Amino acid sequence: MFELLLFGMLSGIAIGCALGVVFHRNPVHCALLLVGVLISVAGIFILLHAQFVAALQVIVYAGAIMVLFLFVVMLLNIKGETPLLTPGAAKFFGFLFALIVFVELIWTAVQPSPEGQGMPDAAPLPADFGSPAALGRVLYTVWLYPFEITSILLLVAVIGAVVLAKRKFF
Amino acid sequence: MDLATLIEALVKVHIVLGFVLLGVPLIVWMERKVLGHMQDRIGPQRVGPYGLLQTIADGIKLFMKEDILPTQADKVVYFLAPGIAVVTALAAMTVIPFGDTVTLFGRTIPLRITDVNIAILFLLGATSMGVYGIVLGGWASNSKYPLLGGLRSSAQMISYELAQGISLIGVIMITGSLSLSEIGRQQEKLWFIVPQFFAFVIYVICSVAETNRAPFDLAEAETELVAGFHTEFSSMKFALYFLAEYANMMVVSGVAITCFLGAWHGPFLPGPLWFLIKLTCFLFFYIWLRATFPRLRYDQLMAFGWKVLLPASLLNLAATAVVLTVMG
Repeated sequence: MFELLLFGMLSGIAIGCALGVVFHRNPVHCALLLVGVLISVAGIFILLHAQFVAALQVIVYAGAIMVLFLFVVMLLNIKGETPLLTPGAAKFFGFLFALIVFVELIWTAVQPSPEGQGMPDAAPLPADFGSPAALGRVLYTVWLYPFEITSILLLVAVIGAVVLAKRKFF
Repeated sequence: MDLATLIEALVKVHIVLGFVLLGVPLIVWMERKVLGHMQDRIGPQRVGPYGLLQTIADGIKLFMKEDILPTQADKVVYFLAPGIAVVTALAAMTVIPFGDTVTLFGRTIPLRITDVNIAILFLLGATSMGVYGIVLGGWASNSKYPLLGGLRSSAQMISYELAQGISLIGVIMITGSLSLSEIGRQQEKLWFIVPQFFAFVIYVICSVAETNRAPFDLAEAETELVAGFHTEFSSMKFALYFLAEYANMMVVSGVAITCFLGAWHGPFLPGPLWFLIKLTCFLFFYIWLRATFPRLRYDQLMAFGWKVLLPASLLNLAATAVVLTVMG
């Protein structure tokens, strides 16, 4: 009951903030609301016993990436935005993509689960579920290749960023 | 959760909160007194014995001052920013253990508010959120000096956070735990400053930078930025920033003590008292630094963080890994 209440609060805040990100005019406010979304999602992770993931979410996304976002947005201080598309085209594509996602979600929701109708009961959690040790073990055994490929991808991105930043434009 | 657990948690929260809120005026008094003597002055001495009540008087003065809102300020964020700074500092306090356990009324009470198994990550998360208090304060004032101060501090804190986090990993590798109370418990025989001396040095330097204290106080460099990010803040909002800075000092000192200086362990005296003694010594060291070093230049600061501290902490990490593997 208590858990349900917390989930309701957190997801409500997350959805509210997410709507704010889309509809707010001021880019700094949008960035802040996005931080709000990330933190409330971290709260939902904790409700799912995934403490480690929640902590990483706050440290990496809310604490580092969003600060850099904010840094750039503040420096640019965007006054009038130059739209990428004409208002009509933007509305058309927005509606199209929203429709696609909506149909997709409905499609997944109405698919019958393998064990018949409705959601299966939650399996009992192992004792160290969500702990850094358990996560690390899975990451370095079952998901070793995806994990290493991701890290190489990130390394390439970092080197690319340095090369681009070092290039002289004059 | 039964009633006794709830009461226990509430009592502990109030004790720690009261400790921080009463500790901050005392630290400010200590800072002014120590700085005074180091500069061949006497420091505050008029209000109360040895000037002890000076900071209380200053606090009351700040309460009474007019709360000024700059006309062009972003009102919501301007109100929010000092709050973020204080809340993150106080939240980080909750995981710091100040003793082992005591038995009261037949209950074994661990001397910490909460003992999550990711305490160190929680701490790093809370301090990384603390950046927002400063950056947003600088931006929301809508004035050029605060903005520059805020931007400076955000770049500085992100850079030093890395080396700070990595310097703690050595300790985590030795103990095999992210829980601060477990790390504290394992230091009964040997303080981790001995095997992890370089990590300790890196951590201390980074934590000074993280709390925006001299010689890393570029976010509020008065010679170039008036007062930096809090130029436009007056009255209680300014006091909140002040409170956050000193609470953050207590947090980083508490972590340094728990991870490197033997936590609450020590001969003869009870644990919490040892913790308090070590905390006082560490804060004295902080003030000593401020009295000794001139402020760094901004490019020196960034170069030092990225080119010296970060490689050094990575080297320390690699060396720790090798030694631990060889020793089995």
